[in-house]
Amino acid sequence: MSSPDFLTRLYDDHAQALFAFLVNLTRNEMEAKDLLQDLFVKLATKPGLLDGVRDERSFLIRLVHNLAIDLMRRRRTREKNYESLAGEAAPLFAPAADPDEQEFRAALTAALGELPVEQRAIVHLKLWDGLTFEAIAEALDLSPNTAASRYRYGLDKLRERLRPLYDEIA
Amino acid sequence: MNTDEFEKRLQRQSLRPIPREWRGEILGGARRANAHPFSTPNPQPTPWWRELLWPCPEAWAGLAAAWGMIFLLNLASRDPVKVAKTSKDVPAPELLMALGEHRRLLAELIGTPSVDEPVKPSGPRPRSEIWHATLSVRFA
Repeated sequence: MSSPDFLTRLYDDHAQALFAFLVNLTRNEMEAKDLLQDLFVKLATKPGLLDGVRDERSFLIRLVHNLAIDLMRRRRTREKNYESLAGEAAPLFAPAADPDEQEFRAALTAALGELPVEQRAIVHLKLWDGLTFEAIAEALDLSPNTAASRYRYGLDKLRERLRPLYDEIA
Repeated sequence: MNTDEFEKRLQRQSLRPIPREWRGEILGGARRANAHPFSTPNPQPTPWWRELLWPCPEAWAGLAAAWGMIFLLNLASRDPVKVAKTSKDVPAPELLMALGEHRRLLAELIGTPSVDEPVKPSGPRPRSEIWHATLSVRFA
């Protein structure tokens, strides 16, 4: 069984990044919390899970990504009108003091919600986790080329969606 | 809009921090799960008959009820006369007397020896003997 210190260290090193990734994927704070709890229960009860893992962050991202995909599949079968709830997404970004910046963040949150989950996951990991396409590909079990092309598609959509606001602020 | 600028602009957006109180809750939950890996202990193995019936107990109960109904209907539809006959192996004395009277009358009619004479064994007889007895009855 995993030692408490080991779990604490994992939480302090990775929970913030995993939380943001999960909120972006699920658009729901409580579901992100449940998934994070599931992950740490799994880490506590399966002590050898991280044995031989080269990159802890990539491995943990893969685990929570799989958990999130399972959750969203279950949710889709449960709620057919899930798409209509996409507008009520949990806030992904910290509040900004500048109203223009705050507006941009709100628009960005909404635009991310319109991306397909597989593009959203890659955009998030590239922009806000700073992972390379190789690391993203390893974490999400894709080829690096697929990761790169999905990122481009996602970024193009965000640019189109945010262009008016971005031009106005810039 | 320059692509690099746009990407940098997006990267600069600071993400919301994870709620502080979650740390204790999530780590506490994980430690509890670690201390009690099975929240619902099951010290005794499930009996084989329960394993057999468990997949669909309603179906088994329905089948048992159907068999019960068939058994009850079978009991209720039995012939009471048949039951009475089979329940008494020894015939009543009145019946025996009536039977004896009937035999005696038949013997008188066909002219065979008295009933009191010992009855011949009723095994198979030669055909000629049967034919002769039939003729004697016809022309009596």
